[in-house]
Amino acid sequence: MQERILEIEDLHFSFDTYAGEVHAVRGVSLYVNKGETLAVVGESGCGKSVTVQSVMKLIPTPPGRLKSGKIYYCGENITHYSQKQMQRLRGNEMSMIFQDPMTSLNPTMRIGRQIAEGILKHEKISAKEAKQRAIEMLKKVGISNPEKSYRRYPHQFSGGMRQRVMIAMALVCNPKVLFADEPTTALDVTTQAQILELINELKEELGTSVVIITHDLGVVARTAERIAVMYAGKVVETGLARDIFYNPKHPYTSGLLESMPSGGETGKTLASIPGTPPDLFAPPKGCAFAPRCRYCMKICQEMPPEATELENGHSVFCWLMHPQAPKYELPGRKSRLKTPDLKGDL
Amino acid sequence: MAEHLLEVKGLKKYFRLGRNQVLHAVDDVSFYIDEGKTFGLVGESGCGKTTVGRTIIRLYDADEGKVLFDGMDVHKLNGKEYKQFTRKMQMIFQDPYASLDPRKTVGAIIGEGLKIHRLCKTKQEYTERIYELLEIVGLSREHANRFPHEFSGGQRQRVGIARALAVNPKFIVCDEAISALDVSIQAQIINLLVELQEKLKLTYLFIAHDLNVVRHISDDTAVMYLGQIIEMAETNELFNNPMHPYTIGLLAAAPEADPDYERSRPHMLMSGEVPSPINPAPVCRFSSRCPHARLKCTEEAPELKDIGNNHYVACFKIQEGWV
Repeated sequence: MQERILEIEDLHFSFDTYAGEVHAVRGVSLYVNKGETLAVVGESGCGKSVTVQSVMKLIPTPPGRLKSGKIYYCGENITHYSQKQMQRLRGNEMSMIFQDPMTSLNPTMRIGRQIAEGILKHEKISAKEAKQRAIEMLKKVGISNPEKSYRRYPHQFSGGMRQRVMIAMALVCNPKVLFADEPTTALDVTTQAQILELINELKEELGTSVVIITHDLGVVARTAERIAVMYAGKVVETGLARDIFYNPKHPYTSGLLESMPSGGETGKTLASIPGTPPDLFAPPKGCAFAPRCRYCMKICQEMPPEATELENGHSVFCWLMHPQAPKYELPGRKSRLKTPDLKGDL
Repeated sequence: MAEHLLEVKGLKKYFRLGRNQVLHAVDDVSFYIDEGKTFGLVGESGCGKTTVGRTIIRLYDADEGKVLFDGMDVHKLNGKEYKQFTRKMQMIFQDPYASLDPRKTVGAIIGEGLKIHRLCKTKQEYTERIYELLEIVGLSREHANRFPHEFSGGQRQRVGIARALAVNPKFIVCDEAISALDVSIQAQIINLLVELQEKLKLTYLFIAHDLNVVRHISDDTAVMYLGQIIEMAETNELFNNPMHPYTIGLLAAAPEADPDYERSRPHMLMSGEVPSPINPAPVCRFSSRCPHARLKCTEEAPELKDIGNNHYVACFKIQEGWV
């Protein structure tokens, strides 16, 4: 059994607003193994960012409120850690990179100092040594002329370079978990490829676990070993990347995979999922996907489905997995490789 | 009747930024689109693809070159002809949140074009037409009295499409029309655009950065880099047989939703970043990042030439057959 770095159990997280309570996360259970990449996939508003931010306790209370659930970091229950306790973990043990590198860097501070700040906060080290470490880190993330760049401001960098600075900042203290919240959404494809490659390289080198949040299934296919698919505040399916892509068991996962145009098939109508996600002010009592699901049964509207465990840690939250439910063959992606090596470690 | 519905010849659009600083947003772009076809324009941000779209529909004036629509030079049209032109060509914008007037009802937004062009004789005809348009794009008639903020992103994009369709255009410029939407909603809108094209015989200029989407929807595709088209061909030909080093790099960089394939293929990374479009030197603009660049690439600019099969490439390596 692999070592679990992070484990989330039945997390419920809500926002209190004037219009009422928004049930953003409604019972999410996840775990992250040491050194692996987990992708959390879902459409906007499905609660993927909230899940991660509530683990890092980045959402102020109020309006955010952790209703129930447990969060374990390296076996330790951190659910009720105070902000002061969290400060020792954040940056040092777990860190985060955000979607928009411009708004998440401090525009009035030279980037070198922003990176060194984290080291000085967590380690007993002289300012000079911290600077040296920051420069090394800048070199590692591929910023040319790191000594000079150390004294530059964020606006002097391009989007891709800023994201590199963010990564340097996040990894300078060797955290065990790196949360990457849509790290490449704001970037162009060629830059995106460079950043994904960089995250992958650093992950291998430092042994960091990576949790990548994204809506782009291409990015997921390129980076993730395991995937958790979220819909309306819940995980609907989780498993190894290959199982999810080639053998999805939840109609939402299948629909999502089908609605992406794939190379080579032109002119065909895309299979789209009708309708829109539900309102999280008043989440449905049954399965949240039921109104959009083409396989919807009576029970789906009455009761939320339980987890069904399949092999390789593949688990699905869908009534179709019930022994008495009709069986359907859900379409997934087909690999472009003609003879996929089924014994691979994917 | 002209040979092609839309023909762009040597189009240039420069933005003057100050003393001796000229941003070459579009620099000598030529292509044509036949009636009923979809022409895809791809490229990274800042490559000038949006400027091409906006210059074609005359939101910007061209600095040089011509845009011929139905045989008329778009940039020389005077008042009356121009008004006729605006009826024939419409645009769908990227951001469905910013492109709808928040103070107007959806009905008024869609109906504005009908009023301007006096397309409806009676008030009843006007409302009927709005209801019809709403239904065409998959909304319902009750939506006519609501305001844009009451809609989701996908629904707003549908309103934007209905507005474009209101005046019965022949040609629609879709500028990143789906990139602000979620995947499952994207598929709905793509299907809607394809369906409308068949039903109403529309012609599209489809501007996007998502290669898979362009591949799905376009008949012909052009790749832009720093204000110029560097490769252009029939879509399948371009994607199956890319020639220009930039196109090859771009296709390699775009991840596909196929984990086995992603893990098995080598990831050739294009090094560096797009250089500045301000006062570019008259050389091959990709030469600074190109792995095959030779001296000639940094001295002259290659022209876009047909290398057979209607496949146009602007690259010395391909044109001269360097190994």
